[in-house]
Amino acid sequence: MSPRDPDVARPRLASARPEAANELDGLLLRVARGDQDAFEAVYDRIAGPAYGVIRKVVRDPAQSEEVTQEVLLEIWRTATRFDPAMGSAATWAMTIAHRRAVDRVRSVVAAAEREQMTADFHVPADEVAEAVEASLDRERVRRCLGGLTEAQRESITLAYYGGYSYREVAALLGTALGTIKTRIRDGLIRMRDCLGVS
Amino acid sequence: MRFQRHDSHRLTGVYALGALAPGAEYERFSRHLRRCQACRDEVSGLSEVATALAFAVAADPPATMRARVLAAVGRTRQLPPEVRSRSQLRTPGFLLPRLVTAVAVAAVVAIAVLAVAQIRTERELSQARQRSQAIAAVLAAPDARILARSTAVGGVTTVVASAARHQLVVTTTDLPLLHGGKVYELWLIGPHSTQPAGLLPVAAKGRTEPVVATGLVPGDKLAMTVEPAGGTSAPTTAPIVVVPLGSAS
Repeated sequence: MSPRDPDVARPRLASARPEAANELDGLLLRVARGDQDAFEAVYDRIAGPAYGVIRKVVRDPAQSEEVTQEVLLEIWRTATRFDPAMGSAATWAMTIAHRRAVDRVRSVVAAAEREQMTADFHVPADEVAEAVEASLDRERVRRCLGGLTEAQRESITLAYYGGYSYREVAALLGTALGTIKTRIRDGLIRMRDCLGVS
Repeated sequence: MRFQRHDSHRLTGVYALGALAPGAEYERFSRHLRRCQACRDEVSGLSEVATALAFAVAADPPATMRARVLAAVGRTRQLPPEVRSRSQLRTPGFLLPRLVTAVAVAAVVAIAVLAVAQIRTERELSQARQRSQAIAAVLAAPDARILARSTAVGGVTTVVASAARHQLVVTTTDLPLLHGGKVYELWLIGPHSTQPAGLLPVAAKGRTEPVVATGLVPGDKLAMTVEPAGGTSAPTTAPIVVVPLGSAS
């Protein structure tokens, strides 16, 4: 892999407050050196979002709680592998949380499918709105989601909060794979510009 | 497919959302990312958007979780950082005789293939692919060692461990069937802590599918216990087998 250009700052969300994001990076680097106090601070910043996104994907509260605990422990165990050059600590942590949630759902679904090949999935595409409370960042994400086309929002929501692969999203919506790829990419680019990733 | 190559770029969004399922397409796009700086930059930016989507649905976890996690942290060893120098991974004397490795690899692969033969859905297939990639990576590690031990209740457990990858693959043959939902649970026992390392799947024809466990550090031993349904976070019964996985080096 070619080294990243040091002059190109990696992308950051303006909405995540740069100083807060940098603070989380610093905390995680301390966690990597075994600092448990730093881990407590990391916990307080990411347990909520991790639990939130895991709840979205997994649904079942007890299982969500289990997965969240596993994720937080994994963050402690693997903090030594966090590389700030590759992305923010928040993104590193949320990638783990989302992946573990999807893993859980897939293993449960794989088991259930043996009995019932045609599960009727129920993921309201506009569910984001329901959980969103009046917080500045949330409002902003919500507003930016609102700026997408209905088709873009539906695909992004199903993929991320529904935990579906894009092929599954295509199957659910009866839409061509290429169309879903493009919708998701275009939608995320529009979100990125709206959120002001610097 | 010919259009695939220039089409790859459009997968950045799907990849950033974690919506590219494991499998050939995932591998292909990961390879593409290694060569494409512009794609990596785009993935970075779009991943931050995914993070914003997570933060937008933040919810308070149960209050008891914090104390539980912090207590678990106190008992859990961290992975050592990745050391990039490849020459360090090739410690002579830690290697297996080639023939033994080949036989063991063949045995584990045979079990993996059996498991694949039972796959019925696309999801199972992509999971199996992901699993076999993880297994293949351990088996192919230059420092892979194989160990087999009889268990106290009969049957044999076979372990292929790679210290460099911090991973091991466990299979068993002829372990007694358990009743009442009980499970065989694996543990990594280090000098200071014991970590759960996964549950054995139910055996088919006397064999269990390979289980991959991570977090192996030098000096660890693998242990197996019989636990209530769903497994536990700490062993509650005496191990039926303990396999030392090599000295701290």
